[in-house]
Amino acid sequence: MKVAGVDIGNSTTEVALAEVGAPGGVPNFLASSRMPTTGIKGTLANVPGVVRALETAVQQAGLALGDIDLVLLNEATPVIGDIAMETITETIITESSMIGHNPNSPGGLGIGVGVTHDISELETAPTDEAIIAVVPKTYDFTRAAQMLAAAIERGVDVTAAIVQGDDGVLIANRLPKKLPIVDEVKLIDQVPLGMLAAVEVADHGQSIQQLSNPYGIATLFKLTPQETTMIIPIAKALIGLRSAVVIRTPAGDVQTRHIPAGSLKLIGERRTVDAPMDSGADAIMDALAQAFPLKDVEGESGTNVGGMVARVRQTMSNMTKKPASEVHIRDVLAVDCLVPQRVSGGLAQEFSMENAVGLAAMVNTDKLLMEQLAEGLHKELGIKVQLGGVEANMAILGTLTTPGLDTPLAILDLGAGSTDAAILEKDRDVRSVHLAGAGDMVTLLIQRELDLPGGNETDVAEQIKRFPLVRVESLFHVRHEDNTVRFFEEPLDPKLFGRVALITPDGLSPIPTHHTLDRIREVRREAKRRVFVRNAMRALSAVAPAGNIREIQFVAVVGGSGLDFEVARMLTDQLAHYGTVIGTANIRGSLGPVNAVATGLVLSHARHQGAV
Amino acid sequence: MAQITEAAVRDAVREVLAQMQLAENKGAKSTPVSAFAPVDNSAAKMTLREVGPAKQGTEPNEVVVALAPAFGDKLKEQTITGIPHAKVLREILAGIEEEGCKGRVVRVKHTSDVAFAGNVGAKLAGSGIAIGIQSRGTSVIHQRDLFPLQNLELFPQAPVLDLETYRSIGRNAARYAKGETPDPVRQKNDQMARPKYQAIAAVLHIRETSFVDRSAKPVDLEVKFS
Repeated sequence: MKVAGVDIGNSTTEVALAEVGAPGGVPNFLASSRMPTTGIKGTLANVPGVVRALETAVQQAGLALGDIDLVLLNEATPVIGDIAMETITETIITESSMIGHNPNSPGGLGIGVGVTHDISELETAPTDEAIIAVVPKTYDFTRAAQMLAAAIERGVDVTAAIVQGDDGVLIANRLPKKLPIVDEVKLIDQVPLGMLAAVEVADHGQSIQQLSNPYGIATLFKLTPQETTMIIPIAKALIGLRSAVVIRTPAGDVQTRHIPAGSLKLIGERRTVDAPMDSGADAIMDALAQAFPLKDVEGESGTNVGGMVARVRQTMSNMTKKPASEVHIRDVLAVDCLVPQRVSGGLAQEFSMENAVGLAAMVNTDKLLMEQLAEGLHKELGIKVQLGGVEANMAILGTLTTPGLDTPLAILDLGAGSTDAAILEKDRDVRSVHLAGAGDMVTLLIQRELDLPGGNETDVAEQIKRFPLVRVESLFHVRHEDNTVRFFEEPLDPKLFGRVALITPDGLSPIPTHHTLDRIREVRREAKRRVFVRNAMRALSAVAPAGNIREIQFVAVVGGSGLDFEVARMLTDQLAHYGTVIGTANIRGSLGPVNAVATGLVLSHARHQGAV
Repeated sequence: MAQITEAAVRDAVREVLAQMQLAENKGAKSTPVSAFAPVDNSAAKMTLREVGPAKQGTEPNEVVVALAPAFGDKLKEQTITGIPHAKVLREILAGIEEEGCKGRVVRVKHTSDVAFAGNVGAKLAGSGIAIGIQSRGTSVIHQRDLFPLQNLELFPQAPVLDLETYRSIGRNAARYAKGETPDPVRQKNDQMARPKYQAIAAVLHIRETSFVDRSAKPVDLEVKFS
């Protein structure tokens, strides 16, 4: 009798095909396959994906679909996850009082203070006051340089320039004296004229000193102590930049505004806790621990988080065809991150890194849906479809086929949508827990923090999550993340020249971004640490005897994200303190961390048959 | 189906006639007939002076601009859309300078192919990066380790290239030289460019090729803008 175990996950559908012989006998595994899940887990839309996965498996085994006698579906954990992200701060510049940005090539060096004048007024400018020239793009760089040089010749005290085009170095190179020049100020017509201003350009590889220091600005503009307290946000906004302009306007200001992000109401079975979003992810997670076990989550209406929770609820309700009021959020994972946002009121279209909170939520679905799915699959295939055992039990059963594993055992299932843990001890039932946030959340964090194309194009972020990086230093050598160099006999594709690339199974693939390798690596590892490691600890302490991870001896990592090249090592690092052995499972001694549930389904069926 | 407009045919014919006339006159100064809207090129003049065989560059910040045989001082001294060569070269060099690199102009005489010219330039450049450019405006950013027909960035549609693009080409070439990872220069795309300009582009290429001297080595040029 040929039996196929099918495990429908959030992102992949896995099949284990086996010949089950005499009752109680050991099943003989013929093939396994892994295909993307179609539609949302646990809905009828999954059927095409299941069929495709089954077809691949039978093909491997040299059989036809009709040869399968029984399809076993996991009684999928009735949870689905969704993710959302909102920024909670924004920077606003009023009255164009500041330009702080990192143009690729500002010109000159140093600091200049003076009154802003349009370059056309230089001819008639007085010689008794310091002047900062404002140069629109209509002035060619030679002409601008000539006009500035002529004015300097005439005795006008030109101390700096603000330039619209990317001409900073070009103009600086053509002047008789060294002036700081800030260029690429896109909205130059909004620079207030006739105002006292200061321009600072730092040397290569350095950042500005004077304008990022409140007392520095106070010195330049001769501010009173009261006024100095007002300009702290400006100084703060300019920290770490290579060039900046500060203009003293009557009411100019820079604010870091906290967007009213609202608060999250965590309704537990025993108590309800309010967690304000703007106090960050840690506060939310602390509140969550207090409210545990969670019954539902509500967001303050009329705020960002309210919208976020409502959106999650709406998506879930569309999927499950249940009214939104009956959708209950059973777990959330909040993660802090910094995302680049355009500064409102900025003249150079500056970006600033703003705080944001990412939220993964998990919702319980109906078991009924799985039955509908089994029915649908039966109709499609004409093969008997049975709902197998509970997912966690199946996963443990499948994991136990890993060589060297024995009970008592805990498994950590790192999937795309949820992180699950289950523990099996002698003479006890399997205990399991499902938590929100896993691989998809990591992808979202990478995408937002690196400002990669979003929407349907999260592919780049997904790839960054999966593959290690290299920097292509010449067409004949690359440098890996650990600084080792690899040489090539044949020249690489010119598309890769000078780029940061990913080592994929199909060769090197360039990343379309200007971020450095170190920055991408840091963001990637930090995202994994904040989602996978954090959730692993949460999940393990939830299932551990008496909530103590030290009591767990062996942990096996399964699930698609278990294939990740660094998560297992990060977890080992973390769990080493607890004296726990953690490793990636190797299902049936050959499949690695995937196919645990599908394998478990078949094994359980074979064992059951024996019992009957 | 791409239709060649009557005007384009007329332009092509006029170009061919101009070439024949040029061949007849052999060096006699003929007043070039602009095929397209005349552009004010009063403020865009340059003089190119050959200063001997092109030397191998050694400075790591040196980016070479390799000119095809007719760029700058032959034909009408303008690109296919009538942008004066002097303005084009000035923008490219400005782009290189703005990034803190040094531009060096080299004349390639043995080929009119933009890819080969670019590659030759790249092999001469201290940084190993060069920009190849033809008189009609087609350009390429090349690197010395590449095969001639490969490239770092190719700008195949001369009609859509404007001065801003040329500045960006210079800037990007300099960034490659500095080991940075620039975003490729944004290019406009005009599906009408092909039908509209194909004939004249071919004529311009033939004319450029007529200046090729297969045995001549690349020479260094001194450029003066006025």
